[in-house]
Amino acid sequence: MTQANERLFNQEVVEKIEREKKRWYEEKVKFADDGAYTTESGIPIKLIYTPDDVKDLDYMKDLGFSGEEPYVRGVYPNMYRGRLFTIRQIAGFGTPEDTNQRFKFLLENGATGTSVVFDLPTIRGYDSDDPKAEGHVGAAGVAIDSIEDMEALYDGIPIDKISSNIVTHLPSTTVVLLAMFVAVAEKRGIPLEQLSGTTQNDFLMETTVGSSLEVLPPRASFRLQCDAIEFASKTLPRWNPVSYNGYNLREAGTTAVQEVACAIANAIATTEELIRRGNNVDQFAKRLSFFWNLYNDFFEEIAKCRASRLVWHDVMKNRFGAKEPRSMMLRFHVQTAGLALTKVEPLNNIIRSTIHGLAAVLGGAQSLHVDSYDEAYSAPTEQAALLSIRTQQIIQVETNVVNTVDPLAGSYYVEYLTKEMAKRINDYIALLESKGGLVAAVESGWLHREIADYAYRQQQDIESGKKKIVGLNYFPSEQQNTEIEVFRYPEKAEAVQKEKLAKLRAKRDNEKLEKILNELRAKCHEDVNLMPYIIEAVKNYATLGEIQNIFREEFGLWQFPLV
Amino acid sequence: MTKMNVQECLARFRNKDVVILGKILKEIEDQTALGYEILKAVNTGWGNGHIVGITGPPGAGKSTLVNQLAKYWGEQGKEIAIIAVDPTSPFSGGALLGDRIRMMDLLKYENIFIKSLATRGNLGGLTASTSDIVQLFDAYGKEIIIIETVGVGQVELDIMNISDTVILVNVPGLGDSIQTMKGGIMEIADLYAINQADRPGADESVRDLKMMIAEFKKTGWVPTVTKTVAVQGTGVAELAQEVERHRAYLQDSGLWSEKRKARNTKRLMDQVEKLFQQRLQDGIAADSRLGQIVAKVAAGELDPYTSAEQLFHTLFR
Amino acid sequence: MSRKIKVVIAKLGLDIHWRGALVVSKMLRDRGHEVVFLGNMFPEQIVEAAIQEGADVVGLSTLGGNHMSLGPKVVQLLRERGLNDVLVIMGGVIPEEDHPGLMEAGIAKIFGPETPIDAIDTFIRERVPMYN
Repeated sequence: MTQANERLFNQEVVEKIEREKKRWYEEKVKFADDGAYTTESGIPIKLIYTPDDVKDLDYMKDLGFSGEEPYVRGVYPNMYRGRLFTIRQIAGFGTPEDTNQRFKFLLENGATGTSVVFDLPTIRGYDSDDPKAEGHVGAAGVAIDSIEDMEALYDGIPIDKISSNIVTHLPSTTVVLLAMFVAVAEKRGIPLEQLSGTTQNDFLMETTVGSSLEVLPPRASFRLQCDAIEFASKTLPRWNPVSYNGYNLREAGTTAVQEVACAIANAIATTEELIRRGNNVDQFAKRLSFFWNLYNDFFEEIAKCRASRLVWHDVMKNRFGAKEPRSMMLRFHVQTAGLALTKVEPLNNIIRSTIHGLAAVLGGAQSLHVDSYDEAYSAPTEQAALLSIRTQQIIQVETNVVNTVDPLAGSYYVEYLTKEMAKRINDYIALLESKGGLVAAVESGWLHREIADYAYRQQQDIESGKKKIVGLNYFPSEQQNTEIEVFRYPEKAEAVQKEKLAKLRAKRDNEKLEKILNELRAKCHEDVNLMPYIIEAVKNYATLGEIQNIFREEFGLWQFPLV
Repeated sequence: MTKMNVQECLARFRNKDVVILGKILKEIEDQTALGYEILKAVNTGWGNGHIVGITGPPGAGKSTLVNQLAKYWGEQGKEIAIIAVDPTSPFSGGALLGDRIRMMDLLKYENIFIKSLATRGNLGGLTASTSDIVQLFDAYGKEIIIIETVGVGQVELDIMNISDTVILVNVPGLGDSIQTMKGGIMEIADLYAINQADRPGADESVRDLKMMIAEFKKTGWVPTVTKTVAVQGTGVAELAQEVERHRAYLQDSGLWSEKRKARNTKRLMDQVEKLFQQRLQDGIAADSRLGQIVAKVAAGELDPYTSAEQLFHTLFR
Repeated sequence: MSRKIKVVIAKLGLDIHWRGALVVSKMLRDRGHEVVFLGNMFPEQIVEAAIQEGADVVGLSTLGGNHMSLGPKVVQLLRERGLNDVLVIMGGVIPEEDHPGLMEAGIAKIFGPETPIDAIDTFIRERVPMYN
């Protein structure tokens, strides 16, 4: 439905303003606008923005209202008045029992959902007793080997009432961990329709952002990603089976534009694949969710959030013909940038994260994790994690920022930036398509090179002083290392997990399991969804590592194209 | 390396101590005195190792192919050495060597040794020390010595001189590379591999290549074209067998020993020339009269021919 | 002929963050060193690579909490093979409290997240013995 452009501003008045601006430049402005200032992603910034920078703005078409197309002003009509952004602090270390306790602490102190991260062996699919897991068990995340561990992790946590964010990262382990979570719910008699939460499930995490000793081919990882999404769209109506991870892409080395473009390109590839499998876009699109970084350039990041909604609406509606409003709404979680934090003068990080957090709220995030100030040292201590929660609560109840929708709308600068970023995001998506699509761009190593080059240039800019970081190269700190309490990972986790595994393997029906696993093997080579077979396997006490080994053997390993 | 004496080094080397092999290789790479002492002692002259050079444009998948070939022979228990050459940065003199990371499969084979080497300004595609390194591997008992280098344009001469068998790896659809090949590179390769042969255009590339080979056939050996998909291992066994077939050909035809004679002679002449060069530079530096002659030639006041004879008589008579 | 410092850099164990290690590798190249980027490797593999490459310096990168369990192992294996002169340095997110233990185990220096490349370059030039 096209309609004539209904410009917001009277064009004659705009032209007059433009003339006045010229005069003002010549008479008053001391330095020429020489393009020396840009946003973090390279968009030139003018000295001043006026209506003529957004003279074609059509309020109803370009902005609309919150909860209505094109959703730029927010995905829900009441936004934070209806539902505050979820305060979600990550927990995860040691054994499942250790993390379970941290969950309870956070929930008692105001967290409104749980969010768990896993240790490296779990993320990359090795059991705690695998030789490669040595030295990694329970460090930087919780160890999960079997369904029993999943039960212990959520013991006493009302997973039917609060949302569970399960940061699985990789599709190959998502399918197993999600299967375990679902099996636990079934054991507890919880109807699957009541489960609400998110699994990250991003094949870029598996094949681009993070390296490992053994990596599945991008196509296989992408297939598993789609299996989990398709499965959830049919059986878990309140579950977000994917959280396209712009955050980690950003941390690895991209601009805000690339961050959003790659994530949306992944969603586009997913949509195409699921349609190929016979699904209808409105069946699954509403549960595709996103995960943005929130970095330093305050207004660019806010514009990014708005632009991402604009682009998504256009993609879903015009490219894929989605009809359901919820298919066209881009919902996102934010984690404030770890990259921005410094080890030197760590208390400065509180300021940084607060500013990032505020920007996320002004950008309309659905849930938020504010980084703790000791991020550069280790996993956060209880004290630091608590401060992050408090930061968000202060924003929520003391600043009044949440009580009106999209307050920066109408700002000439922000509206200009939003439109410009949307354009650049679309351009980058088109660039990826010209490389054969996102999966092909990953297979060829093209995306890795983009990221590595950008990371290298950023470092050069820091070393040359071009990119200023307070306490580091701008007024460099003279402090000796600050004494802060550092979180210590419990060391006993490995031994405990090993013992559990030994017992598990002894008590389960290994003959029955073998048959189930053999079937899973065979199905890897068929064009079917593997989730039901994986659920069956975990119910019969297959371990995470065992299932991963099957994937490695059946899909083969892939050479990570780093250098 | 902590001050080791040559005898100690040699003893451990002969004992197949892989740690000392690594250290000596570094000494040779850095062209140190110790390195040369070792080389003097381990000269094999008529080396038994089969030297296989693999070259081709960037992105052809050479490292992956080398990885697979080495695995194929490694599984048979053969002693393999891989010399992976990458360009030195002309700006900094440093290098980022990224071939080993593509050969992770080979970590578990004790009989496979990988050495990453930077060109260090040498424009021939290899390094000044490559033939010495080959010599050392040969003396160590390596049966197949694979040299991998990026071949762009006309930098393949080095690899042709140093290798028994040269494999040129390319990918389908690179029509212009066929054109480049007409520019002389065609003559150096004994075998061709079309890698990523699962891509469209593979069969056409093979056909075009075969036609061109038929035009250029020089010696009794007709180069063959093998399709490979290195990431999957497809075509690797066939290519390996072609390599072995070529080796048999070289030995039967007498080219094997001829190449070695030529190589040994070249190494001698290169080394003598190096000594001459060194003497020339040292001599000019030490004698100001000679330095003046050089300056006058530079300024156009003296002719280079008379002056050359003068320098020569002064330094080398 | 001039001697060049040979550096091998590894992601330690299962650690997934490759950005820092690759940036450092490139920057050391820019400082004139020859760097082999190994990707993810465990101690035994790292040592084999160091042996084959004749490495002067082994750099270990980790943010994953495995520094105490795997870092010293690299030093131990190197020494067992008689490579007493190879410098082992670490980078990434490694708590200050663990530094003394690591240095005692033979790690020459730990470079935190904000180390300028100058510091690493200077350190290895000072510490790698150059013999003629």
